[in-house]
Amino acid sequence: MPQKIAIRIDGEYVEAREGQTILEVARGGGKYIPTLCHLDGLTAAGSCRLCVVEVSGVGRLMPACTTAVQDGMSVTTNTEKLARYRRMAVELLFTERNHYCAICVSNGHCELQSMATRLGVSHVRYPYAYPRLPVDVSHEKYVLDHNRCILCTRCVRVCAELEGAHVWDIASRGVQSILVSDLQQPWGKSKNCTSCGKCVQACPTGALAEKGWAVEEMTKTQDNISRLASRRGVHA
Amino acid sequence: MRIQDLSSFNAVKEAGLAKLLPYKPRIGVGMGTCGTGNGAEGVYHAFVEEIDRRGLDVQVARVGCFGYCAQEPLVNVWLPGRPLVILRRVQPDNVPPILDDLYLGRIPAELALCKIEDWDHLTGQVKYGSGFPEIPSWREVPFFRGQKKIVLRNCGLISADDIEEYIAVGGYQALYKVLIDGTPELAIEQIKASKLRGRGGAGYPTGLKWEMLRKAKGDKKYIICNADEGDPGAYMNRNEIESDPHALLEGMIIGGFLMGAQNGIIYVRAEYPLAVHRLARAVEQAKEYGLLGENILGRGFNFEIQIVEGAGAFVCGEETALISSLEGRAGRPRPRPPFPAQKGLYGCPTNINNVETWYNIAPIVAKGPAWFSETGSTKSAGTKVFSLVGKVKNTGLVEMPLGTPLKTFVYDVGEGAFNGKQVKAVQTGGPSGGCIPQEMFDTPVDYETLAKLGSIMGSGGMVVMDEDNCMVDVARYFIEFTHSESCGKCVPCRVGLDKGLRILKNFTNGKGVEEDLEALDELGRMIRDMSLCGLGQTAPNPVLTTMRHFRHEFEDHIRAKRCRAGVCENLALSPCENSCPLHMNIPRFLELYKEGNIEEAFESVIMDNPLAASTGRVCQHPCDDRCRRMNIDESVNIRDVHRFIADTIYDSDKYPALMDRICARKQTATGKTVAVVGAGPTGLTSAFYLALLGHNVTVYESNPAAGGMLRYALPEYRLPKNVLDKELELIERVGVKFIFNTAVGFDVSLNDLDSNYDAVFLAIGTWKEAWVYMPGTELKGVMPALLFLEAVSKGEEVHLGKKVVVIGGGNAAIDSARTALRMGSEVTVVYRRERKDMPAIVEETEAAEAEGANFVFLAAPHRVVGFHGVVKAIEVVKTKLGEFDASGRRKPVPTDEIQVLKCDTVILAVGEKVDMDFAKASGLILKEVGTVEVDRFSLETSRTKFYAGGDVISGASNVSNAMGYGKKAARNIDERLLGYKRTGVLSKKYEYDQTPPTQPSEVGRQVPGHLPARQRAASFEEVSVGLTACEALEEANRCLRCDIRTTER
Repeated sequence: MPQKIAIRIDGEYVEAREGQTILEVARGGGKYIPTLCHLDGLTAAGSCRLCVVEVSGVGRLMPACTTAVQDGMSVTTNTEKLARYRRMAVELLFTERNHYCAICVSNGHCELQSMATRLGVSHVRYPYAYPRLPVDVSHEKYVLDHNRCILCTRCVRVCAELEGAHVWDIASRGVQSILVSDLQQPWGKSKNCTSCGKCVQACPTGALAEKGWAVEEMTKTQDNISRLASRRGVHA
Repeated sequence: MRIQDLSSFNAVKEAGLAKLLPYKPRIGVGMGTCGTGNGAEGVYHAFVEEIDRRGLDVQVARVGCFGYCAQEPLVNVWLPGRPLVILRRVQPDNVPPILDDLYLGRIPAELALCKIEDWDHLTGQVKYGSGFPEIPSWREVPFFRGQKKIVLRNCGLISADDIEEYIAVGGYQALYKVLIDGTPELAIEQIKASKLRGRGGAGYPTGLKWEMLRKAKGDKKYIICNADEGDPGAYMNRNEIESDPHALLEGMIIGGFLMGAQNGIIYVRAEYPLAVHRLARAVEQAKEYGLLGENILGRGFNFEIQIVEGAGAFVCGEETALISSLEGRAGRPRPRPPFPAQKGLYGCPTNINNVETWYNIAPIVAKGPAWFSETGSTKSAGTKVFSLVGKVKNTGLVEMPLGTPLKTFVYDVGEGAFNGKQVKAVQTGGPSGGCIPQEMFDTPVDYETLAKLGSIMGSGGMVVMDEDNCMVDVARYFIEFTHSESCGKCVPCRVGLDKGLRILKNFTNGKGVEEDLEALDELGRMIRDMSLCGLGQTAPNPVLTTMRHFRHEFEDHIRAKRCRAGVCENLALSPCENSCPLHMNIPRFLELYKEGNIEEAFESVIMDNPLAASTGRVCQHPCDDRCRRMNIDESVNIRDVHRFIADTIYDSDKYPALMDRICARKQTATGKTVAVVGAGPTGLTSAFYLALLGHNVTVYESNPAAGGMLRYALPEYRLPKNVLDKELELIERVGVKFIFNTAVGFDVSLNDLDSNYDAVFLAIGTWKEAWVYMPGTELKGVMPALLFLEAVSKGEEVHLGKKVVVIGGGNAAIDSARTALRMGSEVTVVYRRERKDMPAIVEETEAAEAEGANFVFLAAPHRVVGFHGVVKAIEVVKTKLGEFDASGRRKPVPTDEIQVLKCDTVILAVGEKVDMDFAKASGLILKEVGTVEVDRFSLETSRTKFYAGGDVISGASNVSNAMGYGKKAARNIDERLLGYKRTGVLSKKYEYDQTPPTQPSEVGRQVPGHLPARQRAASFEEVSVGLTACEALEEANRCLRCDIRTTER
């Protein structure tokens, strides 16, 4: 049994064990830290940066999802600056690709939308890029719309770690990064895809969706994923 | 031959020494990439072939680079018993004469850069010999002065691919020592004690890092050398590897032994093919000689080194991304902790160090930590290799102790700006670094101090920038780079840099808005604080530092839509138009004249510049400095062409009709009134445009006629007053009213003007001569230049002696000198700096000299000596040039030497100031130097309705700058009076050819005829006769039409 240690989050003492991340401890103690690329049951990526927190004595902001707790650590999860930075990160995501909520199956059930509401994003001040991105409808049951993808890599991790198929990965770099199936073939032609649909459930936006839903109709649940992960002993 | 013991080691050492110091002459051709890029291959082969042809017994070797890249190809020449001489800029056709000289035991003097009599390789010593007293020692060459070669100890001296020469100078001895001592913990303590810090950029203490790996638990440990040197402009690591690859191997093998690792990997960027090749050869040789592989040096230690090439990603210089790349994955960084020392390559404990860090290891082992920490500053021990590149005279690789101030690099090692320009900033640390402005060049260069200014030392790149660099464009350039190299994993870097780049591109395209400055600043901070790895964390540095230290450049781009450096092409018509303070459409009038349309050409010229004939004679022509034609031969003589066009029209009968044509462009009367104070170039220009815009303009002038300094300071031989009068005809014609002999502040007050006019423009210039405070100025015969010139132009009597001394180096000094010559006196001009520092227009100074003026440079006035109250002589103290001051010039420092110049007149021309008395009662806020403070963009003063422009706000300047302010003021006052901005109401569409010349004209620059020097010094006749019609046409033909764009702007 890992060692019990004491850490403080926003001034309050919270129970923790060695080896846990700040995010795990916070959630265990009922404290909210915003995340987008995190999914219970998958290894943490630390790429959306929404979960960055201030740690006393450390000069830079640390991502709560990948930083292990240490005895005596004191964490501040929300400050005026952090709130501002998180809003900016969400604004950047909105202006990166083409997020048209009004015509999206996930409208109303989208984690990106909820995050924007929760953080208080009221307007966007960066120039929109409007990149020309494709929609892959080659799969029998599912659709991939790159315009809605926020490159959180939850689909990549769930397919690689839980399903073991590793159909998805990210190709290219920078703003040219794009989700690809197998060796950049259409999803429908993938030899490894088992059509389990976990990637669709893991996806926080309407980028990966089941065919047959109309606007606002698609709801997702990650319960299956967490259950499977805990049964296999793979925990966050 | 495997080295297994001391005797075999020594045998190899002897063999190497026999090659390095043979019994015959040895020639070493510098063959790093810089040398090869300049033709060193050709030089090498020329030597080999010629030596063979002549049947000479001379050894030829390929050495690396000695560091002075601007002088490549460098060739070492050694005659036994003599010093090693380094020849510079050697080309294949220099080879036969070099060999001829060598045969006679001589060195070709014009090619010799410096000599080396003995050299301390730190691991060993080499004595070359003595002699050649006429050749300077390498330490005396400005580029090398102050350098301390620890990392570069062997570069450019030993053969680049011969292990025996490396061993000859003591190579691998440190490794041997470490293996024999067999006490890794103690050795690591030594590294810690040396205070060596990682040279990759982060500066983490190397000893501590090594200790961590040693203590880490694991069967397999890895040592990695990060040779991915990705910073644009940084090539230190490249040179280190190409010139001395074994030093890297030795450092790594020692590291492996001390840290308990048996596997080393060198990750080198594929864009360095020569380095990869030399490394591969070195590894091969090391294996052959028993320094790699099993049982190294017979001491039972096994170590392998593998060379892996990168695949073209800057981000792979980041250690976790590098590890990913080695594992065959995409080069994307991972969160730290865990650090590589705990969990690195393939999950095993790993230590990564930069190339340069490894190069410091053998000397520290050989000479001990105390020796190492003597160099450098308290927190940063040792030296660092910097790549000094950009707009500086001497470029190359410079190894200096940490803590050396930036100005030493720029002005001493680099010898200042190249091309006589002003150095503006130094960019340090590549795309992760920042720009340090010239005012802060005293900053010592080390890890901590640069960080305080928002920059980093980084890998050691130092890019020098001058007035032709646009700092907004520099910021854009670096963000473009980091943005394209971002791995894309985290949101702030991937998307943030993209948006930052878009905003910066808007600035350089003239689409910037004020709010973007704030947004960019905040975005920069967010990216810096939130990114996952060092790339994103440091990418905003160039933007944040340029916005902090060069904010005015950003403001110019956004508010005035101007790029002073002339880089942002979409903000200007052409480089000449951009640098002209009046923004004359130069290509247009040149083309119109070329097509034979002199009337349209005149209209174009005069609407841009109402004093075209006057400025055509006396403007200091900033257009010349940027004209692209100078890349072919010389700039186009723009000034003389617009002079010719104006002169021709004035002398013809076409002038009245053209005046009418221009008056026809007058806008409807607005009913608004404007008072302009001062009828100098600034006032005249603003009045001209305001009248054309339909306002009721009255110009108040204290003198009896208009012209300001053009009439009352510039001598007749430079600007005949009848020319000025012709130009004034048009200004009067468009409706400007003049009230002469009326001084504002005395005859009429500012309050009067306030009550009677809708706007007031103050353009009173700088009419007060600065005084030199020294004993004797109260004597009869001492006079300020302005008073002298004014009196001469008014035809008043001036008591000028026969021997005149003029103090100063500006245009007023030269004008005074040439006027005095014409009045029959002997003239000596005394200036406290050197000729090249004189602010006066070069042609004027040369003319003064041709007319018989004497010049005494590096002398400052000390005291005036008199007899019975009259000047008899002046004592001047010789100066020498000391440190560089804020203006980028060396400050003159007095010496003890005094020189006495006999004279009876002393004219002081050391500068002009604003007459403060006038301003005192005005309610206007003044700056410390006495000029009127205005808003930089609107030219409004602190008093509502009052605008100011020209020398009264800028300090003493020149005619075109003054006129530029006048034009700007007219635009702003018009906007105020109407309540909205009008643009283009005075423009007209001209029809002229829009195809650029397919072939540039072959004719060289036309220079106007001048009266012969002897003739002209006797009269006030105009000296420059101007161009002929033919010459003006030739000149117009030379224009390359930079204003034509083939793609959409």
